[in-house]
Amino acid sequence: MSHFLDRLRFFDKVKETFSNGHGIVTNEDRNWEDAYRNRWRHDKVVRSTHGVNCTGGCSWKIFVKNGLVSFEMQQTDYPRTREDLPNHEPRGCQRGASFSWYLYSPHRIKYPMIRGRLLDLYRAERKAGRDPVEAWEAIQKDPAKREKYVHVRGLGGFVRTSWDEVTEIVAAANVYTIKKWGPDRIYGFSPIPAMSMISYAAGARYLSLIGGACGSFYDWYCDLPAASPQTWGEQTDVPEAADWYNSTYLIITGANLPMTRTPDAHFATEVRYKGTKIVSMAPDYAEYVKFADLWMPVKQGTDAAAFLAMGHVALKEFLVEKQDPYFTEYARKYTDLPMQVVLRKHGEGYVSDRNLRASDFDNNLGESNNPEWKTIVFDKKGGRFVAPNGSIGFRWGEDGKWNLLEKAGAGQAETEAELTCMDSHDEVVSVGFPHFVPGEPALLYRNVPARRLKLASGEEAFVTSVFDMQVAQYGIDRGLGGANVASSYDDANVAYTPAWAAKQTGVKAADLERTGREFAENASKTKGKSMVIMGAAINHWYHNDLAYRAIMNLLHMCGCVGQTGGGWAHYVGQEKLRPQAGWAPIAFALDWQRPPRHMNSTSFWYFHTDQWRYETVDADSLLSPAGPCRNKGSSLADYNVKAVRMGWLPSAPHFNRNPIELAEEAARAGATDEASVSKYVVDQLKSGALDVSFADPDAEENWPRNLIVWRANLIGSSAKGHEYFLKHLLGAQNGVMQEGGAGNNCKEVKWREHGPTGKLDLMVDINFRLNSTGAYSDIILPTATWYEKNDLNTTDMHPFIHPLGEAVTPGWESKSDWQIFRTLAKTFTALGAKHLGTRKDVVSLPMQHDSPMELATPMGVGKDWKHGECDPIPGKTMPMLKLVERDYAQIYNKYIALGPLMVKLGNNVKGIDWDTTQEYEELKKCNYPVQVEGVSKGMPSLEEDIYVCDSVMRMAPETNGEVAHKSWSALSKKTGIDHHHLYAGRHEDKITFRDIVAQPRKIITAPTWSGIESETVSYTAGYTNIHEHIPFRTLTGRAHFYQDHEWFLDFGEGFCAYKPPVDLKAHEKVPDSVRNKPHLTLSWITPHSKWGIHSSYQDNLRMLNLFRGGPYVWLSEEEAATIGIRDNDWVEAINANGATVARAVVSQRIPRGMAIMYHAQEKNVNVPGSNTTGKRGGILNSVTRVIVKPTNMVGGYAQLAYSFNYYGTVGCQRDEVVVIHKIEDQDIDWLERPLTPEREAQRNPVGIGKK
Amino acid sequence: MSLTNLFFGVYPYIALTVFVIGSWIRYDNEQYTWKTDSSQLLSKQGMMLASNLFHVGVIMIFFGHFAGLVLPHGLWLGLGISDLAHQWIAIIAGVIFGIMCLVGGSMLWYRRMYNPRVRINSRRSDVFIITWLMATLILGLLTVPFSIGHAVKGDPAVMLALAEWVKSILLLNPQPELMTKVDPIFRAHIFFGMTVFLVFPFTRLVHILTAPFSYLTRAYQIVRTKRRLA
Repeated sequence: MSHFLDRLRFFDKVKETFSNGHGIVTNEDRNWEDAYRNRWRHDKVVRSTHGVNCTGGCSWKIFVKNGLVSFEMQQTDYPRTREDLPNHEPRGCQRGASFSWYLYSPHRIKYPMIRGRLLDLYRAERKAGRDPVEAWEAIQKDPAKREKYVHVRGLGGFVRTSWDEVTEIVAAANVYTIKKWGPDRIYGFSPIPAMSMISYAAGARYLSLIGGACGSFYDWYCDLPAASPQTWGEQTDVPEAADWYNSTYLIITGANLPMTRTPDAHFATEVRYKGTKIVSMAPDYAEYVKFADLWMPVKQGTDAAAFLAMGHVALKEFLVEKQDPYFTEYARKYTDLPMQVVLRKHGEGYVSDRNLRASDFDNNLGESNNPEWKTIVFDKKGGRFVAPNGSIGFRWGEDGKWNLLEKAGAGQAETEAELTCMDSHDEVVSVGFPHFVPGEPALLYRNVPARRLKLASGEEAFVTSVFDMQVAQYGIDRGLGGANVASSYDDANVAYTPAWAAKQTGVKAADLERTGREFAENASKTKGKSMVIMGAAINHWYHNDLAYRAIMNLLHMCGCVGQTGGGWAHYVGQEKLRPQAGWAPIAFALDWQRPPRHMNSTSFWYFHTDQWRYETVDADSLLSPAGPCRNKGSSLADYNVKAVRMGWLPSAPHFNRNPIELAEEAARAGATDEASVSKYVVDQLKSGALDVSFADPDAEENWPRNLIVWRANLIGSSAKGHEYFLKHLLGAQNGVMQEGGAGNNCKEVKWREHGPTGKLDLMVDINFRLNSTGAYSDIILPTATWYEKNDLNTTDMHPFIHPLGEAVTPGWESKSDWQIFRTLAKTFTALGAKHLGTRKDVVSLPMQHDSPMELATPMGVGKDWKHGECDPIPGKTMPMLKLVERDYAQIYNKYIALGPLMVKLGNNVKGIDWDTTQEYEELKKCNYPVQVEGVSKGMPSLEEDIYVCDSVMRMAPETNGEVAHKSWSALSKKTGIDHHHLYAGRHEDKITFRDIVAQPRKIITAPTWSGIESETVSYTAGYTNIHEHIPFRTLTGRAHFYQDHEWFLDFGEGFCAYKPPVDLKAHEKVPDSVRNKPHLTLSWITPHSKWGIHSSYQDNLRMLNLFRGGPYVWLSEEEAATIGIRDNDWVEAINANGATVARAVVSQRIPRGMAIMYHAQEKNVNVPGSNTTGKRGGILNSVTRVIVKPTNMVGGYAQLAYSFNYYGTVGCQRDEVVVIHKIEDQDIDWLERPLTPEREAQRNPVGIGKK
Repeated sequence: MSLTNLFFGVYPYIALTVFVIGSWIRYDNEQYTWKTDSSQLLSKQGMMLASNLFHVGVIMIFFGHFAGLVLPHGLWLGLGISDLAHQWIAIIAGVIFGIMCLVGGSMLWYRRMYNPRVRINSRRSDVFIITWLMATLILGLLTVPFSIGHAVKGDPAVMLALAEWVKSILLLNPQPELMTKVDPIFRAHIFFGMTVFLVFPFTRLVHILTAPFSYLTRAYQIVRTKRRLA
């Protein structure tokens, strides 16, 4: 009762003794124990997960006490995996377990916030009697007013405001922008829908309805492996983590399983108990190296060389010296190895050119439909060339022959494709292979067997198979004589032998040789159960696609792709949006109007943050001597402008004119329908009166004006070239240490002497956490956390679909993203009705993958109409021009209802169409019909978050067996093969939101994906391609070793070649004050951390406590000592792009020559000023600049056709090199001074001018 | 009421009452605050010396005061210790332990004030109490010359008067007038000392009451039973 009185019974404490007095029994008050009981006592448990891009997709129990989230714990109720396989549970890591801290943390955004100066300006205009849009206009038209708030971005100064006022300002800015500049000047950035689909859909739906552009993310993050679309026509499809357990040989490279795949890593440790060998490749002693039986310490950026050497061994021993029956059959049926390639005369010899097509033969080999798109093999059975089933020509315009059965297209005779013409060649020719290693020849001539063929054009040509070329390219001696081939692995002078690769990679030749042999031998014995797990560490390089193709080559030689336990496993970004087909119509408002505006973000930021103005990489230096190279002399930016003009890549804004005005001008000129408006625009383009916006990105009419960022940390995490974002896009204090000018030699892009600063009129951040993006925004809207909303979550790591659950109502004044955009839509509609009304909008649509438009560029020769190489024909030589009608008075009504196009046009995914009338009618009953008067009255309601979840799941084949049935029926018709057995057991299943709240549910097998959900095999990529004979969505319908597009040949990437990291030269420009003191010049490596997921968690008190409490850079212990850096010293990393300051962690783990700064340690915790720039110390990307790769811009060509997030330029940043030097403790300046007019005016580092 | 009555007749009872009741309330209601609030995790530098000098000194001073002022006068005479001898013992022990305490305490005070990690983690009460204790100690040491003067003259009257006053307070028969005879420095020291009792429940000093001496003799295993025991 009273602790004090209890003490008075001190001498009466011992009641009994035991064990000879060694123990005593007391009868004390035990109420103190309640403190511990109460810590874990709770009122309810709600299922949720974390909408963070970690790929985990873990189900969590959220414990609520007294209306507050008190803690979380891993769920353990997953359905069982399968007999003989370990279960998934429990899933979850230290980061997820600390999330509840955020709800009530100092970072939490509780109220709508706005930059104080902007609010003052806006209120003054409103007080003067202007309506919201006029008020916004008045601010924008007065440069003094605009500069007042624009140039203090990032310097604090936020004030609290109300939802009513803040949505009015955002809506007014949107309306004004649409009216003045065009809707395509409104940009939305939000990543990775799979992590919280409904939240993503909210902003994307709002933007799509008003005509704004949604930016891609997977490519921008450089998580998109461009090699995957190149090879398979598939964005990314990978095995679930459980499939690692089916593997019997694993190579892990660049994917730190225990660190970044924490909940799945157990499969890798468990499979070792079955005897699986694990080989880890990493330059540092990374955590995943500890799993390994063999560690190959490969020098950073040289992975392609290592895998090409392993491929050399596998190819030589299993396909050349002997013909492994399994490998040979696989190569014949599922890869392009037997496909015939035309050789082009080059100097004394030949070089590889395009694939041979049916159209090269008299009478098109009997193919009347798309003969130019049907590739050719030599049929051993018939002794003739045939166009086998499955190439892309069979996909469009006919049904039933788009499959991988070994049949000739015309006549459907059984065939057997010949891999090599070694025994029946007409001649041995010398073929030059592009080579890019400094100090070695640029063209390596090797002897290749070939057949002579008279083409339909009358031209005589040599043709040979991809296989014969590939053997030569790997430098394997087949006894044909000639140079540049090796008969011994020890020949270090011949490219791609293990001994040669040892020179490039630093790995022992014997290890490469043995691993290559073991990998292939294991695959041969197990029919493909050799696997490579790979990740961002090798994917973030400029030539990442080559590194990946080197791996894919090895996998395809060994028949691993499509086999459970085998293949590639790339886990970078939670890209698998399983119910994609049900989600996309809602997210992009395809239920109301098509097409939406999509944009590839890398090109968008490259131009709009003016990183192109600083371009140091000369595109010509990347060209191969063997290519046609018709674009020689173009800059990287020029290639991008050409790609936009030719309809290969999208652009936002589209043109240097408002697309709504463009439609009105066309109407004034008499154009009434889409065709005539399209013709009007084409004429304008042809005459030069109109041009694409990227041709002059610095002209004010081409700037993006409004940016809405939600579910993202664009500025503080993924902004490669962070300081350029600050300088040009935002007009803020920045640390760019150089003047623009290196990029002034463009032919297609207009150079303006002064680089513009502060392009954005308005930046809005929607977040629950105040990070750098919020700090640089003008408006911050408070959103619900992952424990405060209802949403959906899926991942590639496991087959379950999870809910995010509203454990507590959104804190303070926050709302879920769906409700935020609903509120915004409502305010917008009122202003839109007054200022905009109904308008027509010209949408420019690049040639889309998985549509007949992917046949736009015959033979892969891109002709530029601007330079008179052809006529501008929409959908062929330039983008499609679509006319979309937008009723700006109905935006809200459309937002809250599932629109009528779902019935009228149905639904589709990846080129397969089906009817959704039944699901549409069901949703009216399931969700209630809309009651609000307007265009959408009576339609299925999307007013509440759960309605949206259920609509997605009802319309997706993965969660509705009936839709699976319809979609598989459509695909069966296309392939001529009956696939219905794949989902048959689950035809009647309909998964609803309530179901997944009760327990995680396994999804249903759908044609959206290439793996299956089954009781016999784990989900693995390419399974249905191999086992169901569904073609890969590529030119040949097979997995590609060879790329025959002109631009690939220009850059020497027809076959996979090794290219070392590119020299960005930024480290050469550092001030003398740094150069003259001891410093290190190091590779700047930015992998993922143990104590954060991107910028989430790294600023969390618990994670900060676990390691260093602020940003840090890892250095080699020995190397650091050479310039006197001791552990925990402050260091500055600097180059021409900017500077970042952090603590040094010196470790034996790090090899010499590299510095590791973990990804997205933000500037909001413990970041002092940089001594060199005089600005805040920066983030990992303060010293990077993004560069674009022309081969990634190719479009309108089979698997290389554009699709959102599927193909396009990738935001690589890993080739960067920095200078690191020590900062003495007493020199650290925290910049904690008031803002003076002088400081405000000095936005660049001292000495940097206006370029 | 005269000031003498207020300070040496009433104030002692206020201080003792707050000390007892305050400690009781805090002990019953704020168990999680009942601790030493050690800052040794933040900075260990010099603590081995500072903390030990201070604690040994202050504990011995406490027992010295207890022996001289609280234990009955007759006890010492019965043991054959004359008043004058008593006073010399008090002076010598007081100087030795007082200086130990002064050195250690000054180091702790300096650390509390000027070690940035410690300072930022200090409450106002922490800064106050170390400062107050040091002031009390210095006043105590300043009484030593007076005591030496008395002892040299062979006159233990002041010492006896102080003991008599303490006895009067503890026997609830306050005789504040006894204090009018002693030097002002003694009165100041006593006022500061009484205030330590007054603020005791509001500071980290409470740890004195629960020093874990029972660890020295506790059994190897303790079972806190849920059974009802007779």
